[in-house]
Amino acid sequence: MVALLPDESMSQEALPLTDLANVIRSKNAGPLCFTVDLFFSNAQAYARAAQSEALQINSVAACYGLMATQVRRFELPHIFAIKLSMPRTVCAGNPGDGDLYGAQQHAPLLSLRL
Amino acid sequence: MTHPTTPTAVSRLLDSHRMGQERLRVLSASGQLGFGIVQESFERGLERKPHFIGCDMGSIDPGPFYLGSGQMAAPRDMVRRDLEMVLKAARQLNVPLIIGSAGTAGAKPHLEDTLSLLKEVAEANGLSFSVAIVLSDVPRNLLVQAIQHGHLKSLDESGASLNLPLPNEEQVMSASHIVAQCGTHTFMKALSQKPDVLIAGRSCDTAIFAALPQMLGYDAGLSLHMAKIIECTSLCCTPGGRDAILAELGEFDFFLESMNPAAHATPASVAAHALYEQSNPWIVEEPEGTLHLKQASYLALDSHRTQVSGAQFVPRSSPTLKVEGASHAGARAVLLAGVADPTMISIMPSALLEVSERVRKLVPGEWTMVPHLYGQGAVRQLAQAKRSLHEIGLVIEFLAPHAAMAKTAAAVFKQNLLHFGFAGRLTTGGNLAFAFTPSEIDANECYQFVLYHLLEGVSPEDVFGIELHQWNFDEAPA
Repeated sequence: MVALLPDESMSQEALPLTDLANVIRSKNAGPLCFTVDLFFSNAQAYARAAQSEALQINSVAACYGLMATQVRRFELPHIFAIKLSMPRTVCAGNPGDGDLYGAQQHAPLLSLRL
Repeated sequence: MTHPTTPTAVSRLLDSHRMGQERLRVLSASGQLGFGIVQESFERGLERKPHFIGCDMGSIDPGPFYLGSGQMAAPRDMVRRDLEMVLKAARQLNVPLIIGSAGTAGAKPHLEDTLSLLKEVAEANGLSFSVAIVLSDVPRNLLVQAIQHGHLKSLDESGASLNLPLPNEEQVMSASHIVAQCGTHTFMKALSQKPDVLIAGRSCDTAIFAALPQMLGYDAGLSLHMAKIIECTSLCCTPGGRDAILAELGEFDFFLESMNPAAHATPASVAAHALYEQSNPWIVEEPEGTLHLKQASYLALDSHRTQVSGAQFVPRSSPTLKVEGASHAGARAVLLAGVADPTMISIMPSALLEVSERVRKLVPGEWTMVPHLYGQGAVRQLAQAKRSLHEIGLVIEFLAPHAAMAKTAAAVFKQNLLHFGFAGRLTTGGNLAFAFTPSEIDANECYQFVLYHLLEGVSPEDVFGIELHQWNFDEAPA
Protein backbone atom coordinates (compact mmCIF):
# COMPACT_ATOMS: atom_id res chain seq x y z
CA MET A 1 0.00 0.00 0.00
CA VAL A 2 1.77 3.11 -1.21
CA ALA A 3 0.69 6.64 -0.42
CA LEU A 4 0.63 8.85 -3.48
CA LEU A 5 0.52 12.37 -2.23
CA PRO A 6 1.65 14.82 -4.92
CA ASP A 7 2.57 18.18 -3.51
CA GLU A 8 -0.14 20.59 -4.64
CA SER A 9 2.01 23.61 -3.88
CA MET A 10 4.31 22.69 -6.73
CA SER A 11 3.36 23.93 -10.09
CA GLN A 12 5.35 21.24 -11.86
CA GLU A 13 3.96 17.78 -12.34
CA ALA A 14 4.99 15.24 -9.70
CA LEU A 15 8.06 13.24 -10.71
CA PRO A 16 8.99 9.69 -9.76
CA LEU A 17 11.37 9.45 -6.80
CA THR A 18 13.44 7.04 -8.90
CA ASP A 19 14.08 9.87 -11.41
CA LEU A 20 15.14 12.33 -8.72
CA ALA A 21 17.34 10.16 -6.52
CA ASN A 22 20.50 8.34 -7.52
CA VAL A 23 20.64 6.22 -4.37
CA ILE A 24 17.62 4.73 -2.57
CA ARG A 25 18.94 2.26 -0.04
CA SER A 26 17.93 0.62 3.21
CA LYS A 27 20.05 -1.16 5.81
CA ASN A 28 19.85 -2.21 9.42
CA ALA A 29 21.18 0.21 11.99
CA GLY A 30 21.52 -2.52 14.59
CA PRO A 31 19.14 -5.52 14.74
CA LEU A 32 16.13 -3.49 15.90
CA CYS A 33 16.06 -0.59 13.45
CA PHE A 34 16.48 0.03 9.74
CA THR A 35 17.38 3.22 8.02
CA VAL A 36 16.67 4.47 4.51
CA ASP A 37 19.08 6.85 2.79
CA LEU A 38 17.92 8.88 -0.19
CA PHE A 39 20.60 10.72 -2.15
CA PHE A 40 19.43 13.21 -4.75
CA SER A 41 21.15 14.15 -7.96
CA ASN A 42 21.31 17.91 -7.40
CA ALA A 43 20.14 20.80 -5.22
CA GLN A 44 16.90 21.18 -7.17
CA ALA A 45 15.95 17.53 -6.81
CA TYR A 46 16.87 17.65 -3.12
CA ALA A 47 14.76 20.79 -2.56
CA ARG A 48 11.76 19.20 -4.24
CA ALA A 49 12.17 16.06 -2.11
CA ALA A 50 12.71 17.92 1.14
CA GLN A 51 9.47 19.86 0.62
CA SER A 52 7.48 16.99 -0.81
CA GLU A 53 4.46 15.75 1.13
CA ALA A 54 5.27 12.15 0.19
CA LEU A 55 8.50 12.18 2.20
CA GLN A 56 7.14 13.89 5.30
CA ILE A 57 7.14 11.78 8.44
CA ASN A 58 3.36 11.17 8.35
CA SER A 59 3.39 9.94 4.77
CA VAL A 60 6.43 7.73 5.26
CA ALA A 61 4.87 6.24 8.39
CA ALA A 62 1.66 5.49 6.45
CA CYS A 63 3.69 3.96 3.65
CA TYR A 64 5.35 1.54 6.08
CA GLY A 65 2.29 0.94 8.24
CA LEU A 66 3.91 2.69 11.23
CA MET A 67 2.95 5.52 13.54
CA ALA A 68 4.50 8.93 12.88
CA THR A 69 6.29 8.74 16.25
CA GLN A 70 8.20 5.69 14.98
CA VAL A 71 9.82 7.47 12.05
CA ARG A 72 12.80 9.80 12.38
CA ARG A 73 13.74 12.02 9.48
CA PHE A 74 17.04 13.82 8.96
CA GLU A 75 17.80 16.39 6.27
CA LEU A 76 21.36 16.74 4.99
CA PRO A 77 21.17 19.53 2.42
CA HIS A 78 24.95 19.81 1.91
CA ILE A 79 25.03 16.31 0.42
CA PHE A 80 21.45 16.41 -0.99
CA ALA A 81 20.36 13.56 1.27
CA ILE A 82 17.37 12.62 3.40
CA LYS A 83 17.54 9.85 5.99
CA LEU A 84 14.54 8.01 7.42
CA SER A 85 14.97 5.66 10.38
CA MET A 86 12.29 3.31 11.69
CA PRO A 87 11.78 0.10 13.64
CA ARG A 88 12.12 -3.35 12.12
CA THR A 89 9.03 -5.54 12.32
CA VAL A 90 11.01 -8.38 13.94
CA CYS A 91 14.47 -8.49 15.46
CA ALA A 92 17.08 -9.35 12.82
CA GLY A 93 17.54 -13.09 12.46
CA ASN A 94 14.49 -14.11 14.48
CA PRO A 95 12.37 -16.91 13.02
CA GLY A 96 10.13 -15.28 10.43
CA ASP A 97 12.55 -12.47 9.60
CA GLY A 98 12.58 -12.05 5.83
CA ASP A 99 15.40 -9.52 5.51
CA LEU A 100 18.35 -10.09 7.86
CA TYR A 101 20.29 -7.01 6.74
CA GLY A 102 17.24 -4.84 6.13
CA ALA A 103 18.67 -4.19 2.68
CA GLN A 104 15.36 -4.48 0.77
CA GLN A 105 13.15 -2.33 2.96
CA HIS A 106 13.41 0.64 0.61
CA ALA A 107 10.98 -1.00 -1.81
CA PRO A 108 7.77 0.80 -0.69
CA LEU A 109 9.38 4.15 -1.57
CA LEU A 110 10.22 3.20 -5.15
CA SER A 111 6.79 4.06 -6.51
CA LEU A 112 6.53 7.47 -4.80
CA ARG A 113 6.07 10.58 -6.90
CA LEU A 114 7.37 13.87 -5.55
CA MET B 1 63.38 -17.41 24.56
CA THR B 2 61.74 -14.13 25.54
CA HIS B 3 62.98 -10.70 24.55
CA PRO B 4 62.10 -8.55 27.56
CA THR B 5 64.45 -5.72 26.64
CA THR B 6 63.55 -5.48 22.96
CA PRO B 7 61.25 -2.55 22.32
CA THR B 8 57.87 -3.68 21.02
CA ALA B 9 55.97 -2.19 18.13
CA VAL B 10 53.71 -0.22 20.45
CA SER B 11 56.52 1.05 22.67
CA ARG B 12 58.50 2.12 19.59
CA LEU B 13 55.56 4.10 18.27
CA LEU B 14 54.76 5.73 21.61
CA ASP B 15 58.42 6.67 22.13
CA SER B 16 59.16 7.90 18.63
CA HIS B 17 56.08 9.63 17.28
CA ARG B 18 55.60 13.29 18.15
CA MET B 19 52.32 14.96 17.26
CA GLY B 20 53.01 18.11 15.25
CA GLN B 21 56.24 16.80 13.74
CA GLU B 22 54.64 14.53 11.19
CA ARG B 23 51.16 13.19 10.56
CA LEU B 24 50.20 9.82 11.99
CA ARG B 25 49.67 7.39 9.11
CA VAL B 26 46.98 4.83 9.89
CA LEU B 27 46.40 1.97 7.48
CA SER B 28 43.01 0.26 7.63
CA ALA B 29 43.59 -3.06 5.90
CA SER B 30 40.18 -4.65 6.24
CA GLY B 31 36.67 -3.88 7.38
CA GLN B 32 35.81 -7.60 7.42
CA LEU B 33 38.99 -9.56 7.95
CA GLY B 34 38.57 -13.05 6.57
CA PHE B 35 36.71 -12.19 3.37
CA GLY B 36 39.84 -11.48 1.35
CA ILE B 37 42.05 -8.40 1.67
CA VAL B 38 42.79 -6.85 -1.73
CA GLN B 39 46.52 -7.50 -1.97
CA GLU B 40 47.56 -4.75 -4.41
CA SER B 41 45.88 -1.98 -2.40
CA PHE B 42 47.23 -3.30 0.89
CA GLU B 43 50.76 -3.37 -0.53
CA ARG B 44 50.39 0.19 -1.78
CA GLY B 45 49.45 1.09 1.79
CA LEU B 46 52.56 -0.61 3.14
CA GLU B 47 54.74 1.43 0.78
CA ARG B 48 53.47 4.50 2.63
CA LYS B 49 55.11 3.25 5.83
CA PRO B 50 52.04 3.30 8.10
CA HIS B 51 52.60 3.90 11.83
CA PHE B 52 50.14 1.13 12.57
CA ILE B 53 47.80 -1.29 10.82
CA GLY B 54 44.24 -1.96 11.95
CA CYS B 55 41.52 -4.38 10.88
CA ASP B 56 37.92 -4.79 11.88
CA MET B 57 36.86 -8.41 11.91
CA GLY B 58 33.32 -8.45 13.18
CA SER B 59 29.83 -7.12 13.26
CA ILE B 60 26.40 -7.91 14.63
CA ASP B 61 24.98 -7.66 11.09
CA PRO B 62 25.28 -11.34 10.09
CA GLY B 63 22.72 -12.13 12.77
CA PRO B 64 22.48 -14.04 16.04
CA PHE B 65 23.80 -17.37 14.70
CA TYR B 66 27.47 -16.45 14.94
CA LEU B 67 27.30 -14.94 18.41
CA GLY B 68 25.15 -17.81 19.62
CA SER B 69 27.08 -20.70 18.07
CA GLY B 70 30.57 -19.34 18.64
CA GLN B 71 31.34 -19.85 14.94
CA MET B 72 33.06 -17.37 12.62
CA ALA B 73 31.15 -16.05 9.62
CA ALA B 74 34.29 -15.87 7.48
CA PRO B 75 35.75 -19.07 6.02
CA ARG B 76 38.75 -20.29 8.06
CA ASP B 77 41.11 -20.57 5.09
CA MET B 78 40.42 -16.98 4.13
CA VAL B 79 40.81 -15.81 7.73
CA ARG B 80 44.20 -17.54 7.85
CA ARG B 81 45.22 -15.91 4.54
CA ASP B 82 44.20 -12.43 5.68
CA LEU B 83 45.82 -12.84 9.10
CA GLU B 84 49.04 -13.97 7.45
CA MET B 85 49.03 -10.96 5.16
CA VAL B 86 48.59 -8.38 7.92
CA LEU B 87 50.76 -10.12 10.53
CA LYS B 88 53.74 -10.54 8.20
CA ALA B 89 53.47 -6.91 7.09
CA ALA B 90 53.18 -5.54 10.61
CA ARG B 91 56.13 -7.59 11.86
CA GLN B 92 58.22 -6.66 8.85
CA LEU B 93 57.60 -2.94 9.38
CA ASN B 94 57.70 -3.49 13.16
CA VAL B 95 54.48 -1.53 13.64
CA PRO B 96 51.47 -2.37 15.83
CA LEU B 97 48.76 -4.60 14.40
CA ILE B 98 45.33 -4.08 15.95
CA ILE B 99 42.36 -6.34 15.25
CA GLY B 100 38.93 -5.79 16.77
CA SER B 101 35.81 -7.98 17.07
CA ALA B 102 37.81 -11.16 16.56
CA GLY B 103 36.09 -14.00 14.75
CA THR B 104 32.89 -12.10 13.80
CA ALA B 105 31.08 -11.83 17.12
CA GLY B 106 34.02 -11.40 19.51
CA ALA B 107 32.99 -13.89 22.21
CA LYS B 108 35.51 -16.27 23.79
CA PRO B 109 35.31 -19.05 21.15
CA HIS B 110 35.69 -16.46 18.36
CA LEU B 111 38.70 -14.95 20.06
CA GLU B 112 40.25 -18.37 20.67
CA ASP B 113 39.69 -19.40 17.06
CA THR B 114 41.29 -16.21 15.80
CA LEU B 115 44.26 -16.60 18.14
CA SER B 116 44.79 -20.20 17.12
CA LEU B 117 44.84 -19.23 13.43
CA LEU B 118 47.19 -16.35 14.22
CA LYS B 119 49.45 -18.75 16.08
CA GLU B 120 49.49 -21.13 13.09
CA VAL B 121 50.53 -18.25 10.86
CA ALA B 122 53.19 -17.08 13.33
CA GLU B 123 54.59 -20.58 13.59
CA ALA B 124 54.64 -21.13 9.85
CA ASN B 125 56.52 -17.87 9.36
CA GLY B 126 58.86 -18.15 12.35
CA LEU B 127 57.61 -14.95 13.96
CA SER B 128 58.07 -13.95 17.59
CA PHE B 129 56.08 -11.16 19.16
CA SER B 130 53.90 -10.20 22.09
CA VAL B 131 50.15 -10.23 21.75
CA ALA B 132 47.69 -8.48 24.03
CA ILE B 133 44.16 -9.79 24.10
CA VAL B 134 40.90 -8.32 25.33
CA LEU B 135 38.11 -10.64 26.45
CA SER B 136 34.70 -9.11 25.91
CA ASP B 137 32.41 -11.70 27.50
CA VAL B 138 30.20 -10.13 30.15
CA PRO B 139 30.12 -11.91 33.55
CA ARG B 140 26.54 -13.18 33.99
CA ASN B 141 26.26 -12.22 37.65
CA LEU B 142 27.27 -8.69 36.89
CA LEU B 143 24.54 -8.46 34.28
CA VAL B 144 21.88 -9.93 36.57
CA GLN B 145 22.81 -7.36 39.22
CA ALA B 146 22.67 -4.58 36.65
CA ILE B 147 19.16 -5.63 35.66
CA GLN B 148 18.11 -5.69 39.33
CA HIS B 149 19.47 -2.15 39.78
CA GLY B 150 17.82 -0.85 36.64
CA HIS B 151 21.18 -0.36 34.90
CA LEU B 152 20.27 -2.24 31.73
CA LYS B 153 18.30 -0.08 29.31
CA SER B 154 16.93 0.12 25.82
CA LEU B 155 19.55 1.45 23.38
CA ASP B 156 17.23 3.71 21.46
CA GLU B 157 14.28 5.34 23.14
CA SER B 158 13.35 7.51 20.16
CA GLY B 159 10.61 5.11 19.00
CA ALA B 160 12.50 4.35 15.79
CA SER B 161 13.62 0.98 17.14
CA LEU B 162 11.75 -2.21 17.83
CA ASN B 163 11.60 -2.83 21.57
CA LEU B 164 13.64 -5.85 22.67
CA PRO B 165 12.39 -6.66 26.18
CA LEU B 166 14.91 -6.77 29.02
CA PRO B 167 15.87 -10.39 29.67
CA ASN B 168 15.11 -11.96 33.02
CA GLU B 169 17.72 -13.65 35.20
CA GLU B 170 17.08 -17.08 33.71
CA GLN B 171 17.47 -15.77 30.16
CA VAL B 172 20.75 -14.11 31.10
CA MET B 173 22.10 -17.27 32.70
CA SER B 174 21.01 -19.53 29.83
CA ALA B 175 22.17 -17.30 26.95
CA SER B 176 24.78 -18.93 24.72
CA HIS B 177 27.13 -15.95 24.64
CA ILE B 178 26.93 -12.41 25.95
CA VAL B 179 29.49 -9.79 24.96
CA ALA B 180 29.94 -6.08 25.41
CA GLN B 181 31.61 -3.76 22.92
CA CYS B 182 34.82 -2.55 24.50
CA GLY B 183 35.74 1.01 23.70
CA THR B 184 38.78 3.17 23.12
CA HIS B 185 39.71 3.30 26.82
CA THR B 186 39.85 -0.48 27.10
CA PHE B 187 42.02 -0.62 23.97
CA MET B 188 44.28 2.05 25.49
CA LYS B 189 44.59 -0.01 28.64
CA ALA B 190 45.54 -3.11 26.65
CA LEU B 191 47.99 -1.11 24.52
CA SER B 192 49.60 0.34 27.64
CA GLN B 193 51.00 -3.19 28.13
CA LYS B 194 53.10 -2.37 25.04
CA PRO B 195 52.36 -5.40 22.86
CA ASP B 196 53.27 -5.86 19.19
CA VAL B 197 49.80 -7.13 18.32
CA LEU B 198 46.41 -6.52 19.92
CA ILE B 199 43.52 -8.91 19.28
CA ALA B 200 40.29 -7.86 20.94
CA GLY B 201 36.98 -9.65 21.36
CA ARG B 202 33.83 -7.66 20.64
CA SER B 203 34.92 -4.06 20.13
CA CYS B 204 33.61 -0.72 19.03
CA ASP B 205 34.86 -0.39 15.46
CA THR B 206 36.25 3.00 16.38
CA ALA B 207 38.46 1.72 19.20
CA ILE B 208 40.67 -0.18 16.73
CA PHE B 209 41.80 3.05 15.12
CA ALA B 210 41.23 5.72 17.80
CA ALA B 211 43.13 4.25 20.77
CA LEU B 212 46.73 4.70 19.63
CA PRO B 213 46.10 8.24 18.32
CA GLN B 214 44.60 9.25 21.66
CA MET B 215 47.57 7.75 23.52
CA LEU B 216 49.76 9.96 21.32
CA GLY B 217 47.75 13.03 22.26
CA TYR B 218 45.54 13.46 19.22
CA ASP B 219 42.10 15.01 19.64
CA ALA B 220 39.43 12.48 20.64
CA GLY B 221 36.82 13.88 18.24
CA LEU B 222 39.17 13.78 15.26
CA SER B 223 40.55 10.34 16.14
CA LEU B 224 37.10 8.84 16.58
CA HIS B 225 35.73 10.41 13.42
CA MET B 226 38.71 9.14 11.44
CA ALA B 227 38.24 5.70 13.02
CA LYS B 228 34.52 5.65 12.25
CA ILE B 229 35.21 6.26 8.57
CA ILE B 230 38.23 4.04 7.96
CA GLU B 231 36.92 0.99 9.78
CA CYS B 232 34.98 0.28 6.56
CA THR B 233 38.17 0.78 4.46
CA SER B 234 37.32 2.34 1.07
CA LEU B 235 33.54 2.14 1.45
CA CYS B 236 33.57 5.94 1.94
CA CYS B 237 34.94 6.41 -1.58
CA THR B 238 33.39 6.60 -5.00
CA PRO B 239 33.15 3.96 -6.23
CA GLY B 240 33.08 2.33 -2.81
CA GLY B 241 35.15 -0.77 -2.28
CA ARG B 242 36.99 -3.04 0.08
CA ASP B 243 40.48 -1.74 -0.60
CA ALA B 244 42.77 -0.60 2.18
CA ILE B 245 42.55 3.08 3.06
CA LEU B 246 45.20 5.36 4.54
CA ALA B 247 44.34 8.13 6.99
CA GLU B 248 46.91 10.79 7.80
CA LEU B 249 45.98 12.32 11.12
CA GLY B 250 47.18 15.74 12.21
CA GLU B 251 46.45 18.08 15.11
CA PHE B 252 43.48 19.76 13.42
CA ASP B 253 42.29 17.45 10.65
CA PHE B 254 42.88 14.19 8.85
CA PHE B 255 43.32 13.22 5.22
CA LEU B 256 41.67 10.18 3.65
CA GLU B 257 43.19 8.37 0.72
CA SER B 258 42.11 5.05 -0.74
CA MET B 259 44.97 2.74 -1.64
CA ASN B 260 43.01 1.87 -4.78
CA PRO B 261 43.85 4.66 -7.25
CA ALA B 262 40.41 4.24 -8.87
CA ALA B 263 38.44 4.76 -5.63
CA HIS B 264 38.24 8.44 -4.77
CA ALA B 265 37.53 9.88 -1.35
CA THR B 266 35.51 12.97 -2.30
CA PRO B 267 33.87 15.39 0.18
CA ALA B 268 30.43 14.13 -0.89
CA SER B 269 31.32 10.43 -0.71
CA VAL B 270 32.95 10.78 2.72
CA ALA B 271 30.11 12.89 4.13
CA ALA B 272 27.58 10.41 2.75
CA HIS B 273 29.34 7.58 4.55
CA ALA B 274 28.26 9.09 7.90
CA LEU B 275 24.73 7.90 7.04
CA TYR B 276 25.71 4.29 6.47
CA GLU B 277 24.10 1.87 8.94
CA GLN B 278 23.54 4.76 11.39
CA SER B 279 20.03 5.61 12.55
CA ASN B 280 21.21 9.14 13.39
CA PRO B 281 23.76 10.61 10.98
CA TRP B 282 24.99 13.28 13.40
CA ILE B 283 25.68 11.28 16.52
CA VAL B 284 27.87 8.27 17.30
CA GLU B 285 27.56 6.91 20.82
CA GLU B 286 30.78 5.57 22.31
CA PRO B 287 31.30 4.01 25.75
CA GLU B 288 33.20 7.11 26.84
CA GLY B 289 30.95 9.78 25.36
CA THR B 290 29.22 11.08 22.25
CA LEU B 291 30.80 11.96 18.93
CA HIS B 292 29.00 14.84 17.22
CA LEU B 293 29.38 15.03 13.45
CA LYS B 294 27.05 17.90 12.56
CA GLN B 295 29.88 20.44 12.47
CA ALA B 296 32.24 18.18 10.50
CA SER B 297 33.58 19.65 7.29
CA TYR B 298 34.91 17.89 4.24
CA LEU B 299 37.23 19.55 1.72
CA ALA B 300 38.82 18.13 -1.41
CA LEU B 301 42.61 18.06 -1.22
CA ASP B 302 42.64 16.88 -4.83
CA SER B 303 40.47 14.59 -6.94
CA HIS B 304 41.48 11.53 -4.88
CA ARG B 305 41.81 12.74 -1.28
CA THR B 306 39.58 14.53 1.21
CA GLN B 307 40.47 16.56 4.28
CA VAL B 308 38.14 16.16 7.26
CA SER B 309 37.83 18.28 10.40
CA GLY B 310 35.30 19.60 12.88
CA ALA B 311 33.89 16.56 14.72
CA GLN B 312 33.39 17.15 18.45
CA PHE B 313 33.63 14.59 21.22
CA VAL B 314 31.69 15.17 24.43
CA PRO B 315 32.74 12.76 27.19
CA ARG B 316 30.14 11.37 29.57
CA SER B 317 30.62 11.17 33.33
CA SER B 318 30.50 7.38 33.54
CA PRO B 319 30.93 4.93 30.67
CA THR B 320 28.07 3.02 29.07
CA LEU B 321 28.46 -0.28 27.25
CA LYS B 322 26.53 -1.83 24.40
CA VAL B 323 25.70 -5.43 25.31
CA GLU B 324 24.84 -8.17 22.81
CA GLY B 325 23.58 -11.63 23.69
CA ALA B 326 22.17 -14.61 21.78
CA SER B 327 20.31 -17.68 22.97
CA HIS B 328 19.69 -21.07 21.47
CA ALA B 329 16.17 -21.31 20.07
CA GLY B 330 16.25 -24.85 18.73
CA ALA B 331 17.26 -26.55 15.51
CA ARG B 332 16.03 -25.44 12.11
CA ALA B 333 15.10 -27.34 8.96
CA VAL B 334 13.78 -25.65 5.82
CA LEU B 335 11.54 -26.90 3.07
CA LEU B 336 12.02 -25.35 -0.38
CA ALA B 337 9.45 -25.56 -3.17
CA GLY B 338 7.84 -23.60 -5.97
CA VAL B 339 4.19 -23.30 -6.93
CA ALA B 340 2.87 -22.34 -10.37
CA ASP B 341 -0.81 -23.29 -10.06
CA PRO B 342 -2.88 -20.10 -9.51
CA THR B 343 -5.59 -21.86 -7.50
CA MET B 344 -3.06 -23.51 -5.21
CA ILE B 345 -1.33 -20.13 -4.79
CA SER B 346 -4.59 -18.43 -3.89
CA ILE B 347 -5.50 -21.00 -1.23
CA MET B 348 -1.94 -21.31 0.15
CA PRO B 349 -2.61 -19.65 3.54
CA SER B 350 -5.48 -22.03 4.36
CA ALA B 351 -3.58 -25.02 2.93
CA LEU B 352 -0.65 -24.26 5.25
CA LEU B 353 -2.98 -24.06 8.24
CA GLU B 354 -4.75 -27.31 7.47
CA VAL B 355 -1.56 -29.20 6.69
CA SER B 356 -0.03 -27.89 9.92
CA GLU B 357 -2.90 -29.35 11.90
CA ARG B 358 -2.54 -32.72 10.19
CA VAL B 359 1.22 -32.85 10.68
CA ARG B 360 0.90 -31.85 14.31
CA LYS B 361 -1.11 -35.04 14.87
CA LEU B 362 1.52 -37.11 13.07
CA VAL B 363 4.70 -35.55 14.48
CA PRO B 364 4.47 -35.00 18.23
CA GLY B 365 6.68 -32.49 19.99
CA GLU B 366 7.30 -28.78 20.38
CA TRP B 367 7.98 -27.88 16.77
CA THR B 368 6.86 -24.68 15.05
CA MET B 369 6.43 -23.76 11.40
CA VAL B 370 7.04 -20.31 9.85
CA PRO B 371 6.23 -19.87 6.14
CA HIS B 372 7.94 -17.39 3.80
CA LEU B 373 5.91 -16.99 0.61
CA TYR B 374 8.19 -15.37 -1.96
CA GLY B 375 6.21 -13.40 -4.51
CA GLN B 376 3.50 -12.81 -1.94
CA GLY B 377 5.30 -10.55 0.53
CA ALA B 378 8.05 -12.62 2.14
CA VAL B 379 10.57 -9.79 2.06
CA ARG B 380 8.10 -7.25 3.30
CA GLN B 381 4.31 -7.03 3.31
CA LEU B 382 2.83 -6.64 -0.16
CA ALA B 383 -0.54 -5.20 -1.09
CA GLN B 384 -2.92 -7.85 -2.42
CA ALA B 385 -2.80 -6.35 -5.92
CA LYS B 386 0.97 -6.74 -6.07
CA ARG B 387 1.11 -10.38 -4.99
CA SER B 388 2.16 -12.85 -7.65
CA LEU B 389 -0.41 -15.37 -8.79
CA HIS B 390 1.68 -16.99 -11.50
CA GLU B 391 4.58 -18.42 -9.55
CA ILE B 392 5.66 -18.23 -5.95
CA GLY B 393 8.59 -19.57 -3.98
CA LEU B 394 7.92 -21.36 -0.75
CA VAL B 395 10.47 -21.44 2.06
CA ILE B 396 9.13 -22.98 5.23
CA GLU B 397 11.15 -22.90 8.44
CA PHE B 398 10.68 -25.67 10.98
CA LEU B 399 12.05 -25.08 14.46
CA ALA B 400 12.26 -27.88 16.98
CA PRO B 401 14.16 -28.73 20.15
CA HIS B 402 16.45 -30.98 18.11
CA ALA B 403 17.42 -31.36 14.45
CA ALA B 404 15.81 -34.76 13.91
CA MET B 405 12.38 -33.49 14.93
CA ALA B 406 12.69 -30.40 12.72
CA LYS B 407 13.65 -32.57 9.76
CA THR B 408 10.83 -35.04 10.42
CA ALA B 409 8.25 -32.26 10.63
CA ALA B 410 9.59 -30.77 7.37
CA ALA B 411 9.48 -34.10 5.51
CA VAL B 412 5.98 -35.01 6.66
CA PHE B 413 4.77 -31.48 5.96
CA LYS B 414 6.22 -31.62 2.44
CA GLN B 415 4.38 -34.79 1.54
CA ASN B 416 1.08 -33.57 2.98
CA LEU B 417 1.28 -30.23 1.20
CA LEU B 418 2.29 -31.91 -2.06
CA HIS B 419 -0.86 -34.00 -2.06
CA PHE B 420 -3.19 -31.60 -0.25
CA GLY B 421 -6.68 -31.80 -1.73
CA PHE B 422 -8.85 -28.71 -2.07
CA ALA B 423 -12.03 -27.62 -3.80
CA GLY B 424 -11.47 -26.88 -7.48
CA ARG B 425 -8.13 -28.71 -7.56
CA LEU B 426 -6.89 -29.44 -11.08
CA THR B 427 -3.33 -30.23 -10.10
CA THR B 428 -3.89 -33.75 -8.83
CA GLY B 429 -0.34 -34.83 -9.72
CA GLY B 430 1.04 -32.65 -6.91
CA ASN B 431 0.84 -29.07 -5.65
CA LEU B 432 4.57 -28.35 -5.40
CA ALA B 433 7.57 -28.11 -7.71
CA PHE B 434 10.90 -29.16 -6.23
CA ALA B 435 14.19 -27.99 -7.68
CA PHE B 436 16.20 -30.74 -6.02
CA THR B 437 15.99 -33.65 -3.69
CA PRO B 438 15.87 -33.88 -0.73
CA SER B 439 13.84 -30.67 -0.64
CA GLU B 440 13.92 -30.42 3.14
CA ILE B 441 17.30 -29.35 4.45
CA ASP B 442 19.00 -29.13 7.83
CA ALA B 443 19.55 -25.43 8.41
CA ASN B 444 21.77 -25.41 11.49
CA GLU B 445 20.97 -24.57 15.05
CA CYS B 446 18.85 -21.47 15.49
CA TYR B 447 19.77 -18.57 17.77
CA GLN B 448 17.98 -15.35 18.65
CA PHE B 449 19.18 -12.08 20.06
CA VAL B 450 18.05 -11.74 23.66
CA LEU B 451 20.26 -8.77 24.42
CA TYR B 452 20.97 -5.63 22.47
CA HIS B 453 20.92 -3.11 25.27
CA LEU B 454 22.80 -0.37 27.02
CA LEU B 455 24.60 -1.22 30.25
CA GLU B 456 25.18 1.64 32.67
CA GLY B 457 26.82 1.98 36.06
CA VAL B 458 29.40 -0.72 35.43
CA SER B 459 33.13 -0.21 35.23
CA PRO B 460 34.65 -1.52 31.97
CA GLU B 461 37.47 -2.95 34.14
CA ASP B 462 34.93 -5.33 35.67
CA VAL B 463 33.76 -6.52 32.26
CA PHE B 464 36.80 -6.74 30.00
CA GLY B 465 39.75 -8.99 30.75
CA ILE B 466 43.19 -8.08 29.40
CA GLU B 467 46.04 -10.55 28.97
CA LEU B 468 49.53 -10.30 27.51
CA HIS B 469 51.23 -13.27 25.89
CA GLN B 470 54.65 -13.71 24.38
CA TRP B 471 54.82 -16.01 21.36
CA ASN B 472 58.20 -17.26 20.18
CA PHE B 473 58.49 -19.06 16.89
CA ASP B 474 61.96 -17.97 15.83
CA GLU B 475 62.86 -21.47 14.74
CA ALA B 476 61.06 -21.49 11.43
CA PRO B 477 60.35 -24.98 10.16
CA ALA B 478 62.65 -25.88 7.29
